[in-house]
Amino acid sequence: MRPSVLRSVVAVSALGLTLAACSSIDSSAGGQAAATTAAGGAKAGGTLVVALSDEPDPLDPTTARTLVGRSVFTSICEKLYDIDAKLTIVPQLAAALPQISADGRTVTIKVRSGVKFADGTALDAAAVKTSLDRDLTLPTSARKSDLASVQEVTVTDPATVVLHLRAPFAPLLAQLADRAGMVMSPAALKSEGENFGAKPVCVGPYKFQSRVAQDHIDVVKDPNYYDAGNVKLDKVSYKIIADSTTRFNNLRSGDVQVLDTVAPTDVDALQADPKLSLLTSDSLGYQGITVNLGNADGIGKPAAALPAKLASPMATDPRVRHAFELSLDRDAINKVVFQGKFAAACGPISPDSPFSSDDAQACPQHDPGQAKQLLQQAGVRTPFRIDMIVANTPIGTRLGQAIQAQVKDGGFDLRLVPTEFASSLDQTDAGNYQMFQVGWSGRVDPDGNISNFVSTEGSQNNNGYTNPAVDKLISQSQSTSDNDARARLFGQVISQLHKDLPIIYLYRVKNFTGVARTVVGVQMYGDGLMRFKNAGFAG
Amino acid sequence: MGRYLIPRLLESVVTFVLVTIVVFIGVRALPGDPARALAGEESTPEQLAAIRHSFGLDQPVPVQYLRYVGNALHGDLGRSSRTGLPVADSIGHALPVTLQLAVFAIAVAALIGVGAGVVAAVRRRGPAEWAANSVALLGLSVPSFWLGLMGVLVFAIAYPVLPASGYVSVFADPYESFRHLLMPAVVLGSGLAAVVMRQTRSAMIEALGTDYVRTAKAKGLSGGQVVIGHALRNSLIVVTTIVGLQLGGLISGAVVTEQIFVLPGFGKLIIDAVFTRDYPMIQGVVLVTATAYIGINLLVDLLYSVIDPRVRVGGTVL
Repeated sequence: MRPSVLRSVVAVSALGLTLAACSSIDSSAGGQAAATTAAGGAKAGGTLVVALSDEPDPLDPTTARTLVGRSVFTSICEKLYDIDAKLTIVPQLAAALPQISADGRTVTIKVRSGVKFADGTALDAAAVKTSLDRDLTLPTSARKSDLASVQEVTVTDPATVVLHLRAPFAPLLAQLADRAGMVMSPAALKSEGENFGAKPVCVGPYKFQSRVAQDHIDVVKDPNYYDAGNVKLDKVSYKIIADSTTRFNNLRSGDVQVLDTVAPTDVDALQADPKLSLLTSDSLGYQGITVNLGNADGIGKPAAALPAKLASPMATDPRVRHAFELSLDRDAINKVVFQGKFAAACGPISPDSPFSSDDAQACPQHDPGQAKQLLQQAGVRTPFRIDMIVANTPIGTRLGQAIQAQVKDGGFDLRLVPTEFASSLDQTDAGNYQMFQVGWSGRVDPDGNISNFVSTEGSQNNNGYTNPAVDKLISQSQSTSDNDARARLFGQVISQLHKDLPIIYLYRVKNFTGVARTVVGVQMYGDGLMRFKNAGFAG
Repeated sequence: MGRYLIPRLLESVVTFVLVTIVVFIGVRALPGDPARALAGEESTPEQLAAIRHSFGLDQPVPVQYLRYVGNALHGDLGRSSRTGLPVADSIGHALPVTLQLAVFAIAVAALIGVGAGVVAAVRRRGPAEWAANSVALLGLSVPSFWLGLMGVLVFAIAYPVLPASGYVSVFADPYESFRHLLMPAVVLGSGLAAVVMRQTRSAMIEALGTDYVRTAKAKGLSGGQVVIGHALRNSLIVVTTIVGLQLGGLISGAVVTEQIFVLPGFGKLIIDAVFTRDYPMIQGVVLVTATAYIGINLLVDLLYSVIDPRVRVGGTVL
């Protein structure tokens, strides 16, 4: 076995990532992958109050599922790898990027030395194995699919852990840069068991202090942290404020200093306020319309013809789906619904991703005339009636209405079915829908935006889409670690998706974070997560 | 006494069991799988099955119910499926917040309502009555969420004298607690203040026309003594009854106020629990509420029997 460093992933030091010190809105196609408030000059001490838009689930890296939970984890649970401002993967608790065997099935990870958990116990290869084994075996683990390629984890010496894979799997590194790569204290796992999430103990600039449901999560500076000398704040208090107006008002009043999700409608007001600054980064995810092509019996079941009440040429004739897409004016949707603050999107990969390509960003022009012609060719009677589930929120309804008005010009009679989120997931999993407006928060490795949704066996393929050519391309992209080759393969997948249209991609949100100007050193990357390791109050 | 007490106790137990069954079946009849609500965008059928298993949702409903009641009798209300925190702890944190807010709101309502009502009654057909009536009408017709948002914009942003959100326990820091709860209490109490004002005004007008007030005036008592010492004192019986009846309404009305001012209270707890299909939390909250209502009703029934012996002899008040 000849180990070779994974050269395709270029490491860029995570320090000094102040490349995007600007925090202006960028609505151009290129966008920006990261933003930071001015760095340096932070004085020691103080409590930073951060408003979160939702209540995180248990703070257990093995079972955690929410995006807001990931925000809190950036403070208390570091990972084997992290991303940097350019969305490349860099070591965090690992000493270096992993060594991968020639056959791609053995991944050797060196663990950083001299690292202690928040409870004072040492982090070593055995601790990494304990966490990975838990991720692989705990019945309620949400990491099983992330680590599905891992067959066994072994420890060769106190600083080396080896992952034995069933087959080469390039996206694994990105998974280890997310919750699957978080290392939990074995001592705390032993004492807390399944309730670890109520009192999490990991490695991070801060350690968990307390949590009151629906109110706050407090984390305090961890003296055991390996880089504690550079941590300025005494405490970060995450306050849960669901309503966007209330959240914004709290930022303006100074009751909170950082706001994780600024609504597009509040962006102008925030920029006009001299006491506040705005951090912007492009999301790695997307929003789109999932079309039910063959999910007749529920997710995970073989694709089949839809029952009579749902069956329509929309599911069976790609020309009808193309007509629907040509009726859409994505830029107008962005302007009308989001004040032009987001970006139109026609595919699952962010233009900032190193895996993006011309094929991945190809986008048809708005052409309702051609849409009508296509409907005529398909032999359907206009106006063509079709139902779409939308979120029963003000934004969801507004988006639905904008789409409804546009596709009318193309010959469609779109009926909106506003549905509460949990119920809509139930309905669409069961296959009880025609179209569904939904999004995905996005992953660093585009595989996380594609394979689960459009491969035949994909765990979230709720549209019953199946195409052996796409399955093959996805499989090839997973087994090579050559990034250029992967980018090409992703481009080919997306070209095929543009022909079949199981998902009609609409737009890509931007992550807007509001920060009081008294606070410096807050970092935000394309993953939309705020990092407070170097944050502090201006001196 | 026993012949009266035992059936009342049995009644309470039956009511309690019925409430828990209705709630248990009710939350399960909500559309939306709690496992799906919990798993969010990331879920595979295997993970959903594992979540259902971990919360016992794969068991038949009667088994789930008996297990729940068994645990509840031991004081264990389970863990929230959303946060993983013990339900009893969350309720323990939320209940004092809402109670404190409700009591404060009543105090605000009584102060404003009684004051304005007295002025309106004493200075009838003058500018004072007109002003008091206008304030009452405004208090009744302005939605609390709007009033709350305006309050924040004015008193927390434009003139930052009060905090925009948050809760501080009265036991931890009474002054900060007062500052944090003042705006929410005024917003929540404004509607009630209007009701109190109208009731006080009509009761006062009636009282001011009675013989004992005329007698008091004839005896040479000052205007203030007549109004405060005689007329108001008698009018307060009606007002107190109204305020008491409104307490339950205030606690449910607190839901909106708690959202605007980010108070971690009971209302916010149950609303969030319903949206995330957090069965253990919904059940816990309803269980505690039902226990409180049943307990208070039982206590009132017992007090009736102490106050009026005919209740326990005949079973009904004649």
